[in-house]
Amino acid sequence: MDAFEKLEKVGEGTYGKVYRAREKATGKIVALKKTRLHEDDEGVPPTTLREVSILRMLSRDPHVVRLLDVKQGQNKEGKTVLYLVFEYMDTDLKKFIRSFRQTGEIIPAKTVKSLMYQLCKGVAFCHGHGILHRDLKPHNLLMDRKTSMLKIADLGLARAFTLPIKKYTHEILTLWYRAPEVLLGSTHYSTAVDMWSVGCIFAELVTKQALFPGDSELQQLLHIFRLLGTPNEEIWPGVSALVNWHEYPQWNPQSLSSAVPNLDENGLDLLSQMLQYEPSKRISAKKAMEHPYFDDVDKNRL
Amino acid sequence: MAANFWTSSHYKQLLDQEEVDVVQPLDREKGITLEEFKLIKMQMASYISKLAQHVKVRQRVVATAVTYMRRFYTRKSMTEYDPHLVAPTCLYLASKAEESTVQARLLAFYIKKIYADEKYRYEVKDILEMEMKILEALNYYLVVFHPYRSLVQLLQDVGMNDMNMIPFAWGLANDTYKMDLILVHPPHLIALACIYIASVYREKDNTAWFEELRVDMNVVKNISMEILDFYENQRMITEDRINAAFSKLASKP
Repeated sequence: MDAFEKLEKVGEGTYGKVYRAREKATGKIVALKKTRLHEDDEGVPPTTLREVSILRMLSRDPHVVRLLDVKQGQNKEGKTVLYLVFEYMDTDLKKFIRSFRQTGEIIPAKTVKSLMYQLCKGVAFCHGHGILHRDLKPHNLLMDRKTSMLKIADLGLARAFTLPIKKYTHEILTLWYRAPEVLLGSTHYSTAVDMWSVGCIFAELVTKQALFPGDSELQQLLHIFRLLGTPNEEIWPGVSALVNWHEYPQWNPQSLSSAVPNLDENGLDLLSQMLQYEPSKRISAKKAMEHPYFDDVDKNRL
Repeated sequence: MAANFWTSSHYKQLLDQEEVDVVQPLDREKGITLEEFKLIKMQMASYISKLAQHVKVRQRVVATAVTYMRRFYTRKSMTEYDPHLVAPTCLYLASKAEESTVQARLLAFYIKKIYADEKYRYEVKDILEMEMKILEALNYYLVVFHPYRSLVQLLQDVGMNDMNMIPFAWGLANDTYKMDLILVHPPHLIALACIYIASVYREKDNTAWFEELRVDMNVVKNISMEILDFYENQRMITEDRINAAFSKLASKP
């Protein structure tokens, strides 16, 4: 690992530290994600293996963070350490949104649109390759502040899906971006879970506040129901058969524009299609890219 | 782990038969022939299956593990990397990659149970060390595609998805891992070859169905021939030949 000079610690992930580093030979700035091994005598963590092999497979989409290399090294105690070498991005969407919240400015509509288009494109790419992300949230979306280039990162929870899609463990998503079918205990979930997250992120970009900031699974559902109305068999066939389904307070759907003011009509239409209760009716990433909301995006540039 | 084969690293990593049939220089020095090289890999494939039965993982994990092992030996010698350690480690790695992790100490336990012979015994520490070496040799390309999924779909499509045919064709597909086919051919063609053999065996004329598939039937027939040749040759494999191969490998240069 002498090939890199560590510059600073930029983050601490679920299974290791992330450093900004310089590749000595080229001067190129990279992100080093360090993974300790042999902690519990079980070698390379499966999440790391999964992330690496998926990134290896997702060859070079501009909207998926690029894995440049994998290096084995030793730490001070002589234990094996794995370094994932990623291209360096200087911020993420969480920090980006926070910086606007602090100054009280709104994120320009054009920027929101461009970021959303890139997000849909990256998600479409993953889904097209049979990969569900399962944990999309602002923190996992890396950005270049100057160019507003967005890249999807942290594919540690991602997995390739096989058809028929069934039986995924459901303890995975951060609550706020978690799709209702996951919250209700569906084991047959699909690409639509990512699109729900995309919808939540969309609203958050516009308002700078999380759309459904629940702090428990129940609270999370109630947040959703309060805005979109309590679902029933009529609007979501099969919902009452899901394992976590109970009787809930009855709310009528509110208009999305009440929760997400400052979004134009096309934007609201797209958002409503991302937040469809019935997963099969939720818009796909690919279809979303063709939505009129994105008509004035410079698609060739992104 | 499955996804889209055509855009995958597996597709890009398909090799020519000539590239697969290279005995590494260090192994060649010990007098190991191509036949013996294949024999050892076959033995190790069945070792992996045997271990897998003990630790109870799916066939898919076995198939992935065997693929790793076979890929590994297109790049590394058996002299430097003992197959008796590489094989279980590939199973360990495949179990993680296929999301059904098996603990290393469980593997070490069953290795001891299977092999009375001390020299084939390995500990957890050995497995974890070898894991890193295998990852490096495979360059962290771990996504592998298998014929099973296509097989089931195709059997249904051709109308042979009955209780006789499914296990028969599935068994054929399992046996293809005793060969290097998975390194050379796209998995769906291997699946088709299994169906082709099954059709002949069943005396069911599926010519029209095969013609509609728009695949190169010559390739399918060639794979089928390879499988049948393998069965033919397998009868001639004796315990003595296997032992001879392993003792050459164990010999000091």
